[in-house]
Amino acid sequence: MTTPARIDAAPRSPFQLAFRRLLLNRAAVAGALVIVVMCVSCVLLPILLQLDPNHTQPALRNLPPSSRFPFGTDSVGRDVLARVLVGGRASLLVGLASTAVSVLVGVSYGAVAGFYGGKVDDAMMRFVDFLYGLPYMFLVILIMLMFSETARGEMLPVFLALGLVQWLTMARIVRGQVLTLRNQEFVQAAELLGASDLRILVRHVLPNVVGVIVVYATLMVPSVIILESFLSFLGLGVALSWGQLVSDGVAVVNPIRSYWWLLFWPSAFLGLTLLSLNFIGDGLRDALDPKART
Amino acid sequence: MIEALTLLFGLALLAATAWCPPRWTRILGSLLFGFVVGVVVRFSFGGAGGVVGGLVAAGVAFRFLPLLVLRRVVFLVPALVLLIFATTVLMYKAPGNPFANERASSPQVEAALRAQYGVPKNANQFFGIYMRRLLVEGTLGPSIKVQGRTVEQLIAPAFPVSLSLGLLALTLSVIFGLSLGVLAGLKRNSAADYLSMGLALIGISLPSFVIGATMMIVFSLWLGWLPVAGWGSFKHLVMPALALSLPSSAVIARLARSGIIEVMQQDFVRTARAKGLPESWVIGRHALRGAVIPVVSYLGPAAAAIMTGSFVVEVLFAIPGMGQWFVKGAINRDYSVVLGTAIVYFGMVILFNLLVDLAYAWLDPRVREERA
Amino acid sequence: MRRNLISAFLVLVAALLVVGLTLSRATRGRAAFSFVNGTEPKTLDPNVMTGEPEGRIAQELFEGLTRLEASSLEPAPGAAESWEITPDGKTYTFHMRPSARWSDGHRVTAHDFVYSWRRMQEPALGSEYAYIMHMIRYAEAFNTHAAQADALEGPIVKALDELVAKYHGVVPQDAVREFDSKQRLHGVLKGTPNPKLSAFLLRPSGDSSQTELLELRRELKTEGARRRALHDEAVRHFGVDGGAYAKDDHTLVVELVAPTPYFLELTAFHPFYPVPRWAVERSPHAWFLPGSIVGNGPFLLADWRVGDRIRLERSPTYWGRDEVKLNSAEALAIENVTTALNLYLTGEVDWLPHNNYPLDLSLDLKKRQDFYVGPALIAYFYRINTTRKPFDDVRVRKAINLAIDRESITRDVLLLGQLPATHFVPPGIRGYVPPPTAISYDVAQARKLLAEAGFPDGKGFPKFGILYNTLEAHKKLAEVVADQLHRNLNIEVAAYNQEWQSYLESETSLNYDVSRGGWVGDYEDPNTFLDIWVTNGGNNKTGWGNLVYDRLIEGAANVEKFLAEPAFLLEHAHDRAALKLLAEQVQKSSDAATRLDAIAKLRLALLAEAEGILIRDDFPIIPVYFYVISGLVKPNVGGFYANLVGADGQTRSNLRDLHPLRSIEMKAAGSTPAGSAR
Repeated sequence: MTTPARIDAAPRSPFQLAFRRLLLNRAAVAGALVIVVMCVSCVLLPILLQLDPNHTQPALRNLPPSSRFPFGTDSVGRDVLARVLVGGRASLLVGLASTAVSVLVGVSYGAVAGFYGGKVDDAMMRFVDFLYGLPYMFLVILIMLMFSETARGEMLPVFLALGLVQWLTMARIVRGQVLTLRNQEFVQAAELLGASDLRILVRHVLPNVVGVIVVYATLMVPSVIILESFLSFLGLGVALSWGQLVSDGVAVVNPIRSYWWLLFWPSAFLGLTLLSLNFIGDGLRDALDPKART
Repeated sequence: MIEALTLLFGLALLAATAWCPPRWTRILGSLLFGFVVGVVVRFSFGGAGGVVGGLVAAGVAFRFLPLLVLRRVVFLVPALVLLIFATTVLMYKAPGNPFANERASSPQVEAALRAQYGVPKNANQFFGIYMRRLLVEGTLGPSIKVQGRTVEQLIAPAFPVSLSLGLLALTLSVIFGLSLGVLAGLKRNSAADYLSMGLALIGISLPSFVIGATMMIVFSLWLGWLPVAGWGSFKHLVMPALALSLPSSAVIARLARSGIIEVMQQDFVRTARAKGLPESWVIGRHALRGAVIPVVSYLGPAAAAIMTGSFVVEVLFAIPGMGQWFVKGAINRDYSVVLGTAIVYFGMVILFNLLVDLAYAWLDPRVREERA
Repeated sequence: MRRNLISAFLVLVAALLVVGLTLSRATRGRAAFSFVNGTEPKTLDPNVMTGEPEGRIAQELFEGLTRLEASSLEPAPGAAESWEITPDGKTYTFHMRPSARWSDGHRVTAHDFVYSWRRMQEPALGSEYAYIMHMIRYAEAFNTHAAQADALEGPIVKALDELVAKYHGVVPQDAVREFDSKQRLHGVLKGTPNPKLSAFLLRPSGDSSQTELLELRRELKTEGARRRALHDEAVRHFGVDGGAYAKDDHTLVVELVAPTPYFLELTAFHPFYPVPRWAVERSPHAWFLPGSIVGNGPFLLADWRVGDRIRLERSPTYWGRDEVKLNSAEALAIENVTTALNLYLTGEVDWLPHNNYPLDLSLDLKKRQDFYVGPALIAYFYRINTTRKPFDDVRVRKAINLAIDRESITRDVLLLGQLPATHFVPPGIRGYVPPPTAISYDVAQARKLLAEAGFPDGKGFPKFGILYNTLEAHKKLAEVVADQLHRNLNIEVAAYNQEWQSYLESETSLNYDVSRGGWVGDYEDPNTFLDIWVTNGGNNKTGWGNLVYDRLIEGAANVEKFLAEPAFLLEHAHDRAALKLLAEQVQKSSDAATRLDAIAKLRLALLAEAEGILIRDDFPIIPVYFYVISGLVKPNVGGFYANLVGADGQTRSNLRDLHPLRSIEMKAAGSTPAGSAR
């Protein structure tokens, strides 16, 4: 790794150091910038340009991109630019938030299971396996039922329904990593020195799992955004999102006539998000790498 | 409320089986194993056959099966019962019923159908009927929406279809994802690295139905190489297997890449390198093992999901697999189909997670010591 | 690394092995004719089935007394060789075709039909289409009266007692109404001759006194006993010596309650097919699977792979086997419309029936030579939940109806020449003159009505939802309608979806504001569209009820009864003069034939009066458009008629996209299609 081994100034916490290193990673900074710009434009642009994503003008249907409609129009004449931007609000929020929660729950659950191992691990993983077995669709339908008719299109139920399953695999992955780290020399050394379990987990074990967590989490964001369109199939999606734009756009993949812009724009935004998150993830991983610290 | 308490109690019991001492695990596991085998054998060879078969199976299990497997058996059997109960409660709490149609039918029609299919209005009664069917009659119950067939008659032809497609897709994703990921991890910013990034980009941010539909146009309508959809020859398999494998190969590639990067910095690899061992030896012997652990963890649940079929891919390519029944069962409130598919899926999850745990021990000897 | 490779290789080998094994039993040559059949058929039991994909297969496996001639869809002799009808139009005598055979060699006899029809009416079978046979004498009593008597004598009387006990003295109107709808009294008491019970069903608003309810209780018990007696009588006679019975093996006698002009078309429809008693009794719930099924139609069920395809092969025992040109046919269960289209374009299927291609491509496909389109007997509409505020106000309902631009929807969204619906009954039903409508696109009036209802410029109007079941086409339309209402009335509207079973539950339990609906006519008659809106009817699901409407539907079902006491309806009808005139014509008619004709006219006039209430007075629904049938068929498919030519030389539309395989033949590729085929 090319990051400088020692940084002048007074002693700093490892996280401050990591942040420093992150800032030096150009790809990561660029990725972060893209995400920020995307979030800001999704929130502000529709207001500034007075775009209405629901305004139907059937006479202007399926128009290719032009100066009036830079991203074209859909089959009932709605402005695709407006739809992509407004859809991005929900998708980015849902994607980032439920990934964050899944990571939080999954990592702590998996780390504890892997760290204590043996019977604790056994019992905890049984619970996870059991949850895998429950039919997901009914869980979603029941969550929908807990909210009133008017709460449709709001974030909380969607968020719940997505977070419910995403953490399971994360927990299994983290647990697998911790299980192998558990018996490595540096962990045992820390144990001998009388460090508390929590301290060992947080200071010694987790930093070594960060790479995998980050990689999996960055992949989770786009898959959650896509998965949301499946929820809307059950009547639980948000009103407008990238996932839905993409699944509506599948109609354009046909041999007769392709309105490519219906699929291209939402996918491009989704792909850009994935790409940027990956660069941030890579940067984070390198920055937090315990091996690179000294 | 009572259902919730029963569920909690059941879950606590399941967790508690982890503390079952080895000797008891051996005995209990063998007995349960024998019981299950006995119930199955009984349907083909009658009561006496069942008892004999069960006893033999229990004996064999007691003598030969490893503790690791018996522990799963001790968990699996009560977990299945609990799963059936929990799913029943969920299904009955959800709105809608399997006999509702666009045209309202009279209460008497519904009552007649409920009696015929054994679907009373009360969840606990249904649970009773279902368990009795399972244990006494040895059937997963009739499907309501595919009439004249039992759930096992639906699943039996569909499962091998999904299994073969899934195996192919899984093999593709492991080979493809792993080699790409390892190469990318060893040589960061190389062509392989960018390729793995591109794969992730396509595999994750485009849903499989978009990829599938695009392939259909290119390979079937333009090039005419492959049939559009259906099931019946190897050619029919190519596109669905690719569509099914793309998302998981993307995840595998990314996980393997990060695993390799991680491992290559570890002390034992550095030591091995310092000793002057050839690079391929270092990678093959030491690095790869550590690097694939996250992949293996991911593969447990992923394999179970892939091999039980994907609704999207099956509907797109008109494949008579099992994935469709997960969704159709739920959408139609076809209770027995929901339970049947849930049981199969749960069985697969347990099986693959067992394999994953065995793989950990094989990949990392220290885990083995710990668990012994 | 090497070990990994070895295990990967082993897995691959195992995978290929499994693949090979599952594939080896899946191969079979392509059929002479194959088509996309949409979703998987639920059943192939003609007495139980309801859907279109089921019907398409059943019409090939079985044959009714009559069958539909492909070129005209008019009834032609099927399992019956000939028939006679009595002058009053109520008794049919069918003579069985001596050469008709089941696929296992048994003769097709009159007894097979009697068995099938009685089975269909058996309450325990739970057939959803049982009602379609209720014009046959005894059938309704046989099918429904036992359960109704049980309900009347048991839960209904008990619920009434509880009601009386709960409120000492006066029982408020709402409680009575709740009792009425919870116990489905309108269904249970359907067609009661008891004047006191009719009066209760049609009661004006107001509270009920204790004595009134106690009297009601007595009448309900009497009605229960009456229905029980009718049921017992029906069990003794239906299929034995009344209703539909076999005089001998060759002669089937059918007695109808009232003359039914479309009866011979119905006997070609799957509920009226015969079923083989011996096969059914051997395996009551699975007799229709390959191996055990016995049919009497032009094709045999050779194979049925769930989620894949159904294979039909020409029946060697069918009486008209020489007229059948196809040796085999395959129905593919394809649910993805893009896949269906791709299969068609690569030539793997020859026919794509309606609703089986991506609707977004309508305009492009319409230009193709092999595309066909024509009107359908299907209405697309929205229900309004009239029990919720502010939709309980008729001005609000009318305003919403007036604020939707149906022209723009059909012209720019649906694209196939669908008709904007300002009525509920689709156009084109012979003899039916639709009433004048108050529905048009008139935003100014809509805004005025909304202001009158207390929402000037939409102010204070609560946000509401338009519910639809998950489907791309419904979504698109609901979003357009929501946007139009939002723009035209300045109110907040959101479209939202539920999957099918949740959606049905929301509708039945009135858990919605506005909800999508569609209604397919079972036969060419306005009644199949109008009788769903009777108060508390099972398919009403709007909470709306109108006494005059109920009476009109009742009168149309039994014109004689209306003629006996026409005062009430003549007082409330819009077009009293016309009704009076038609009633007089019936009274004056000298012979049976003119009387039959006059009754038919009066009946349609009563139905038109009823429809008027929906679209002129009360607006419990928002009609949107009438469907079209559209599909694709390869040019080398002969004997396929998208447009029909009747015996009278008139051309008609193929309203139900029915194409019996019996007459289909494959021509050499490149040759021109049959003359009048499309």
